[in-house]
Amino acid sequence: MDMEKVSREIVSEKIVSKEKVWSYAKRRREMCAAIKKMIVEQLCLDLDPEFITDDQPLFGRGLELDSIDALELAVGIYSEFSVTISDGDSSVFSSVNQLADYIMEKQEEGEKDDGD
Amino acid sequence: MEIETRVIEKLLPHRYPFLLLDRVTKLEPGKSAEGIKNITVNEYYFAGHFPGEPIVPGVLIVESLAQLSAVMYLTAYFPEETDWNHIERGKIDAGEIATKVGYLAEIKNIKFKKVVRPGDVLQLKVFQKGQFANLSQIKVEAYVAGSCVVEGTITVSERK
Repeated sequence: MDMEKVSREIVSEKIVSKEKVWSYAKRRREMCAAIKKMIVEQLCLDLDPEFITDDQPLFGRGLELDSIDALELAVGIYSEFSVTISDGDSSVFSSVNQLADYIMEKQEEGEKDDGD
Repeated sequence: MEIETRVIEKLLPHRYPFLLLDRVTKLEPGKSAEGIKNITVNEYYFAGHFPGEPIVPGVLIVESLAQLSAVMYLTAYFPEETDWNHIERGKIDAGEIATKVGYLAEIKNIKFKKVVRPGDVLQLKVFQKGQFANLSQIKVEAYVAGSCVVEGTITVSERK
């Protein structure tokens, strides 16, 4: 769980209700689990999705992914979450937490745009 | 508009005996393309693959699909409504753009469903699934007389 992100959210929206924090924490946990499942399926990895930790580096050390895997993940994220990762945002592939931040942020932006 | 070999040669660096794309029949630059590769009994590889039983090596069909993919992503660099015949007549310089052709980076889940023999016309179809950095993931299919002979996914690189 990324507590820093939760506290940032609380400060930015001036939320005090515990329910809202809990609901965010729950969405966040579900998003991380969905991302791990997508990574394992998309890359045909022979491991349990839960084996990947939220802050583990995906490239280099860690899962040892390469640039072809990054493309694979970009395709998977688009089909799973309808979020496009542009070339300039390659840093989002550094960990599951970074991916979750990016995807949730883009999805919220999308919802706001739909509302306008 | 169809693209013939004279134009394809301006776009791709491949030459005999490895230009494995005879014509581009449909093109949506950067998105999808269709093309043709005719198989004649004179193909050089039939001498050894196999003596008495000429069969097109499956990897060469994948190469044909990769070459069509290169035409598909290269043509996205030209202005919209480009008349491809003008490239051949030298009105449009393809030199700079043609240097972007990269390499095959991944072959994934390719199925070779039927053998391809002399006299067959390979109808090639490529469709861009995703793109990140200098890599494109492409869904590829090849047909002979309406039935699918090869299908799968490839990744190609381009030089930026």
